[in-house]
Amino acid sequence: MDHNRRRFLRAATAGGLAYAFGRAPGSVMAQVASVNTLTDYKALVCLFLFGGNDSWNMVVPRSTAEYNVYKTSRQNLAVDQAALLPINPLTPGAAQYGFHPSMAELQGLFESNRCAVMPNIGPLIAPITKAQYQAGSVPLPPQLFSHNDQQDQWHSLKGRSLSKTGWAGRVADVLASQTAGQQLATNISLAGQTLFQAGSIAVPYTMGATGAQTFTGFGTTGINLARRNAFETLAMTDYSDVYERAFAATQQRAVRYADSVNTAIMSARPTLAPLFETASTNPSLASLSRQLLTVARMIDVRDRLTMTRQIFFISLGGFDTHDDQLDDQPNLYAGISKALKAFHDATVQMGISDRVVAFTQSDFGRTLTSNGDGSDHGWGGIQLAVGDAVKGREFYGSYPLLQIGGINDVSAGRMIPTTSSDQYAATLAKWFGVTDAQLSQVAPSIDNFATKDLGFLI
Amino acid sequence: MQKFTSMRGLASAGIFCFGFMLTACGGGGDSGGGATTDSTAPAPAPAPAPAPAPTAPAITRAEAYRFLNQATFGATLAEADKVIAQGYGPWIDAQLAVPASLELPLVTTAYAALASPSTMAGSVNADRVDAWFRNAIAGPDQLRQRVAFALSEIMVVSQTGALVNNVFSTADYYDMLARNAFGDFRTLIQDVTLHPAMGVYLSMLGNQKANATASIRPDENYARELMQLFTIGLVQLNADGSSKLDAGGQSLPTYDQAVVEGFARVYTGWRWACSTCTAFAQARQTLTPVNNQILPMQAFPDQHEGGTKQVLSYPGAALALIPAGQAPVKDLQDALDNVVGHPNVAPFISRSLIQRLVTSNPSPAYIGRISAKFENDGSGRRGNLGAVVRAILLDTEARTPIAAGTTGADTQGKMKEPLLRLTQFWREYGGKAASGRYVFANPSNTFGQGPLQSGSVFNFFSPTYAPAGEISTRGLSAPELQIATEYVNTLVTNYFYQQSFCRNQSPISGCATNTADTIVIDTSADITLAADPAALVKRIGERLLAGQVSPVLQAQAEAQVARVGAATTNQRVAEALYLVVSSPEFAYQR
Repeated sequence: MDHNRRRFLRAATAGGLAYAFGRAPGSVMAQVASVNTLTDYKALVCLFLFGGNDSWNMVVPRSTAEYNVYKTSRQNLAVDQAALLPINPLTPGAAQYGFHPSMAELQGLFESNRCAVMPNIGPLIAPITKAQYQAGSVPLPPQLFSHNDQQDQWHSLKGRSLSKTGWAGRVADVLASQTAGQQLATNISLAGQTLFQAGSIAVPYTMGATGAQTFTGFGTTGINLARRNAFETLAMTDYSDVYERAFAATQQRAVRYADSVNTAIMSARPTLAPLFETASTNPSLASLSRQLLTVARMIDVRDRLTMTRQIFFISLGGFDTHDDQLDDQPNLYAGISKALKAFHDATVQMGISDRVVAFTQSDFGRTLTSNGDGSDHGWGGIQLAVGDAVKGREFYGSYPLLQIGGINDVSAGRMIPTTSSDQYAATLAKWFGVTDAQLSQVAPSIDNFATKDLGFLI
Repeated sequence: MQKFTSMRGLASAGIFCFGFMLTACGGGGDSGGGATTDSTAPAPAPAPAPAPAPTAPAITRAEAYRFLNQATFGATLAEADKVIAQGYGPWIDAQLAVPASLELPLVTTAYAALASPSTMAGSVNADRVDAWFRNAIAGPDQLRQRVAFALSEIMVVSQTGALVNNVFSTADYYDMLARNAFGDFRTLIQDVTLHPAMGVYLSMLGNQKANATASIRPDENYARELMQLFTIGLVQLNADGSSKLDAGGQSLPTYDQAVVEGFARVYTGWRWACSTCTAFAQARQTLTPVNNQILPMQAFPDQHEGGTKQVLSYPGAALALIPAGQAPVKDLQDALDNVVGHPNVAPFISRSLIQRLVTSNPSPAYIGRISAKFENDGSGRRGNLGAVVRAILLDTEARTPIAAGTTGADTQGKMKEPLLRLTQFWREYGGKAASGRYVFANPSNTFGQGPLQSGSVFNFFSPTYAPAGEISTRGLSAPELQIATEYVNTLVTNYFYQQSFCRNQSPISGCATNTADTIVIDTSADITLAADPAALVKRIGERLLAGQVSPVLQAQAEAQVARVGAATTNQRVAEALYLVVSSPEFAYQR
């Protein structure tokens, strides 16, 4: 890879390909030679909830027996039973559940079969019971309950390996030859660089929440064109250290993508923006709305950018609710709910709602017990998937018993996941076009689980 | 830390072992010893063994620039002259003695001038950032400030979040880091632990004892991060920073959940200092501005866990269980002694500081040499940060470049942090506003980072970050590249465009009018060379890159200058300056 890239850079610097339009260096020659073989369009939108979402307050038992267990464990962190927004799964269980009172839109998406709930999911290497956990007889991902390590687990599914790639990056790697005609990288982040999108060969592209940033002083004629050419030549020079090489490659992508992305975004339909509350006084909602509007616009102009597979990364922070949890959660959850609903409406308007799946990930669930006015780092938690390709109005996996010291609790109300992040990723990746044989490249521990596809996607 | 494991260690060992076998620490050009004490060091620092320097060769400007980009907020011609005249060792020793430039006085003054202090406290964050820039650009204690900045990225607190209205706390926290930058590590950790900024940020402030009926247990936030991020990391390390492995080749954790819970119990019962309060609940609120915002937290026994507390077990640990019934302060002393005494601290902190100052990928031997200095500064003292910093900067791996084509040559050095690209530019080109202020409240919006503005306790970037491609596949790290995204790089490049073309003493036509608060640079000296593109670019290259300008950069900048009419001297300078300052070469720290 590196070899090819540098050879290309030399050639480009010599003059021939200076304006070869396009994607990450190293893929340019492949692009010239091949086209996309995946002709149907699909997009995944990963919403990462940074800090560890206390999701036991997001989807809550509302039938009295189960609510009372919840209330006993959560004490002053509990949401009022009467305020929960009822949901009615197509396959009803013994217990009944409701969304947090700030999530009316997600309640509606669930009830209209467009939202699925994964009720106790987290990083695992193999299925594990409480007894096995206590005996230490089943391998575990290292550093449970640590923010950055468990973020890394969600991003990478690396288990105990030393991998420096993420599962979305590996999806892009696996599909590279089938997406070679795309003008942009398969992985696009609106929220900075993450391990999630790092591939071995597939380089993600990072843009801003409202679009790509264009360069001041670059133009198409005269001195402004010359300035751009000079800048780009410096970005295509073959430097003698790894740092400058990587930096220069980023500069190249920045120059080349900025114009194409923003030109394309400007051609997105103007009727998308009114769906989103980008100016909300709820900062969580404003932030997510800005990001999801941009994602919607990018999806709308997919043909112009010859994109057939896209994985977008967006994020919301503020979930590390050690303090003031009951004050902070309503805004966070309202932001998720309203923004995901607006985004789904946008995909419906674009006629592509069955080709786009939005899904959540987060560091971990949190402890049922309290610090006084907040909760601590846990393990399993609830995740959501939204879209018309989702077989909604169902729970995939079993909701845990929210009891301190209970069958699912390792300590202080940290729930042992009963579904693994690998199964979640494998389900999404398979829908996206990864074959069964390739799934273990994306989700390295998947073969340890009997169910490789959780079944929540059509 | 999980990712710093044996594979990398072994690879790096292979890379570096033959380059440095004969030169222990010291090396390259250290021309003298001298006192290293400063006003805050608790005991006299060691006089480094005065290597009988056999005719140390003169320091070149390029060497001085490399050194100053490691040791200050950016090399300048003027400071390089000092290093060349003094030698590295004496320059460092002089710096070790300079007292800290502070942020709090400026913040206090700004607060006093507010029309409505009670509702505008958060606006003073801008004044804290102003103070940071003043000290970074012109503070006489450059080395101290640079180390304080490094520490602020290891022991992170941030104005974003709960501290937004506690600006006195954040300013004083930074000042505390600066005061302790060359001091004793154990003292630093205690000052960090009890600082109310940290107390608020990682929720030790207000941490209460368990209450089973209310389903409350001690908050584990600070307990976890102090160990994971500030002192020992997640896995057991050898002195050279490589991971210890079990028989199965797996790394060994430094602690488990029981230890986290033990430390969490230690850190119960602390709140804002309050001389009139007798109980935890009474000390809920901050008092008047400043006062208890800058005082160490106070212990209230009524909310302190009374039982035993499990702490770290390691060879040489004084105790593995803190006895029941001790006073909160005694518990804290025992617990901090326990964690700071852990053998991981030396390699963990050594590597962290090397990565911030010198290189992203230090060799195990380099980490090992600095660890040894941490364990014993030469006079028997452990944790003497002044001696550690001195050793980091004087080490052969910091001073002697690896020749091109030799193994390790293409991994030495690091990317500059984006903010350090800016500060170097401003330092060399006199960047300041007529008002004397640095009105730039949120540099993180442009540069992806700002002083005490991290999005989380994990800093702006991870010490193990590796972008896709050769850095990842070769098992290397490049932390700063995590924020050098297409998006941020473009914002930074555009900022440099505005600085080069508009925000200077002679803006090109079409620029917005500069105000008293516009931070402008002075390019007048360069303008005198505008008639000669080659000489102009060469001069700018000397000022920013010590003359180490690649032929392609020289050629591209020269050609661009020549495209501008000779009479438009300000634009000629701007074109050259912009291309140099936005170049990969200027973003790289050798």
